[in-house]
Amino acid sequence: MTRKKVKLAFIANDSARKATFKKRKKGLMKKVSELSTLCGIDACAIIYSPYESQPEVWPNTAGAQRVLTQFKRMPEMEQSKKMVNQEGFIRQRIAKAAEQLKKQCKDNREKEMTEVMYQCLTGRGLQNLAMADLHDLGWLVDQNLKEIHKRIDSLKKSASSQVVAPGGSSKSATSEMARNGGGQGPGAGQQEQKPVVDLGADAMQSRPQWFTDWVNNPNENMGFGGDDQMMLPFGDGHGAMWSSAFFP
Amino acid sequence: MAKKPSIGRQKIKIAKIEIKNHLQVTFSKRRSGLFKKASELCTLCGVEISIIVFSPAGKVFSFGHPNVDSIVDQFLGRNPPPNSTTHHLIDAHRKASVQDLNSQLTQVLNELEAGRKRGETLDHMRKLASQRKYWWEKPIDELGLNELEQLRDSIEVLKKNVTNQTDKLSVEGNVNLSPFFSVSEWLIRLRSNPIR
Repeated sequence: MTRKKVKLAFIANDSARKATFKKRKKGLMKKVSELSTLCGIDACAIIYSPYESQPEVWPNTAGAQRVLTQFKRMPEMEQSKKMVNQEGFIRQRIAKAAEQLKKQCKDNREKEMTEVMYQCLTGRGLQNLAMADLHDLGWLVDQNLKEIHKRIDSLKKSASSQVVAPGGSSKSATSEMARNGGGQGPGAGQQEQKPVVDLGADAMQSRPQWFTDWVNNPNENMGFGGDDQMMLPFGDGHGAMWSSAFFP
Repeated sequence: MAKKPSIGRQKIKIAKIEIKNHLQVTFSKRRSGLFKKASELCTLCGVEISIIVFSPAGKVFSFGHPNVDSIVDQFLGRNPPPNSTTHHLIDAHRKASVQDLNSQLTQVLNELEAGRKRGETLDHMRKLASQRKYWWEKPIDELGLNELEQLRDSIEVLKKNVTNQTDKLSVEGNVNLSPFFSVSEWLIRLRSNPIR
């Protein structure tokens, strides 16, 4: 097995090309043989190269001739149906790869938006998002809600003893959070919605570095949209904008 | 949503496969792989190849470079390889065309590889985050009823905010409300300056 990735182009170096040809030809013949045995089917391979006057043939000349006769006996249309040359074959490969790429981009986008969603749950504002992002975020949010509803229903149905939410945090955490949010909004950050949950003690302790930076630079524009409801249950009471660490 | 990795490559005995379904799947995959190898050999070494394969169902698959018929005819002694100028021109044209296609293919395959890596990075990020202290980032199946209800409520608030923001942007007519940076840029920064 090669360690290096081989470039899909004619090998200019003569000796390298010849060496590659020998190895790959051997491998190819082996593959044809395996296919024939494993699947119990007839096959033949013919290779013309500048290195040999006679073509290399699998299984052998007689065997190949037999297969070819069988092949030629078929109606023209049957022969051509699954016939392909280099160009056609490479085009097929390109099409397939493009298809896979499309799916992959979609999956990656979903993963990205998941990150964004979790960030938003901790208070990152939506101001920085373009329409397309909002659209995808909205979709993802709906997907998650669906899943959560399903899960809630199934848990309720099974009616087993539930695990209580972690972090026996006190009321003070909640009010501190409310105070923070209220005090630092641009216009008196009005809280349309009081935080629904008690903030776990953990979240208060593990302040990220950028949050600390932000706290030390209270002049940073909070950028709260006035109409945004504060979904701060998971937030540290901080604002929507990233600290200066994130701006160029 | 992590995909369960497949069983991986297994060494198999080279003998006719017993189970019909396996046989058909094997045929399909190996035939495809065989043609791929043949195609690569042609490109890398500039040789002419033809492969003919009968399927378990009796259909015939064939690959040929420059094309199946010319190789087959040549082998069967039907026509000697032509040497005219026209032939050389056709040859040259075909070579250029194949070269071009191979570049395209390489490009798409590279993008695919890049995308795969990116996906792994994102998976890793999510995995790390879900192991962290923030319980709401754990996979949904691991949450208790109480937590789920809290999470649901918060997400519903988020949903309202998203709707509001969307409406706001629509009303403002998308007038150059260029975000400070795109989502991907933001994620790149996030990776180099992990906030947690």
